[in-house]
Amino acid sequence: MHIHPLEKRWIYLVLAVVGIFLAAIFYTALARNIHPPSHIEPIDSASLHLSAEFAEDKLGVWTQPDGTIRVTLVAARYGFYPREIRLPAGTPVTFRIASADVLHGVHIPMTNMGTMVVPGYVSEITTTFPKPGEYPMLCNEYCGLGHDHMWSKVTVVAKESWPEASAAQPIGR
Amino acid sequence: MKKGYVLAGIVLAASNGPIAAEPSTQVAWTPETLAFVRNGDAEKGKKIAESCEACHAATPENAESEFPYLQGQTATYLYKQLHDYKSGSRSNEIMVGISAGLSDQDMADVSAWYSRQPPPPAKKADEIPDTIGKLVDRGDGARIVAPCAVCHGRAGESQVLDTPVLAAQKAAYLEQTMLAYKSEARHNDIYRRMRLIVQQLSDEEIKQLARYYAGLER
Repeated sequence: MHIHPLEKRWIYLVLAVVGIFLAAIFYTALARNIHPPSHIEPIDSASLHLSAEFAEDKLGVWTQPDGTIRVTLVAARYGFYPREIRLPAGTPVTFRIASADVLHGVHIPMTNMGTMVVPGYVSEITTTFPKPGEYPMLCNEYCGLGHDHMWSKVTVVAKESWPEASAAQPIGR
Repeated sequence: MKKGYVLAGIVLAASNGPIAAEPSTQVAWTPETLAFVRNGDAEKGKKIAESCEACHAATPENAESEFPYLQGQTATYLYKQLHDYKSGSRSNEIMVGISAGLSDQDMADVSAWYSRQPPPPAKKADEIPDTIGKLVDRGDGARIVAPCAVCHGRAGESQVLDTPVLAAQKAAYLEQTMLAYKSEARHNDIYRRMRLIVQQLSDEEIKQLARYYAGLER
């Protein structure tokens, strides 16, 4: 079979590029131990409500001693629990999310907060919300018949009015 | 000596003010628990069920009582409720006492028996408002209420894990149950899932939903 020399050159070039990409992936994964952000911390999804971290009274927004915010969240068919949370703008917020049943996704539109929630693992993601406002928190992995009803409300308030807001907020639910 | 420890524990717990809240239920649907319930012995359960029938039989004499039908209910739901009565996660004057005398195996057996019985006849309701059908099929996005059908099934036949069968249940029982969730008198739903939904509904919607599901033929 005749292949035009120019075409041959392009084939080699493309193969070389694919080779470089694969080498980069395998190098970072094997030598540098770099993996996707979730899939590292296992947890039993079936008994999530009996676990220490994701017990029902441990969910919600917590201020850490160093001033950063931690949100403990459960995704379960069909909702995120707690249903409504308030967060400050311009402050690093770390979400710790677990699924109680099947594969879910979390996405807050117009922000870079988004991750998959794989049953059996804790998903952790840190982000800062630049602008106050009301945001929906959506599930973006099809999880069942009620998937399109799976959403929660996130209210981001200005940093200056945060301490008052957090005091007024019932924590845990 | 042992009594002293228990007493000291109670005094400590009381004096420490609010301690960590109890989980809504002690039941976790691990593969082992699911297999345990699935392997319940219906024949042994039949013996235990003889004493349940006084209140729970699907007979015309029982139709007006406040006690729910158990026939054709999912075994997982029945097992969880019995377990919750015994562990204190769900309260009821009569059932707490009865469940105290049942072992986990008894619960699995009697749940297996009832799950295999033919469902009770539906009590057709007339004039259900259109809004109720919408709530069942499409939910209400503005109130963050998912459709009933996505968990309980379009025909009230139950969809996922331990969500109960609703079709042909007594309307009075369904209404009373939803009102109990609304007032938090009942609280054995994991992560408050049912309470969060029901607390968004008006008492009238609850009443009509109960009538709707009671009228569904199985």
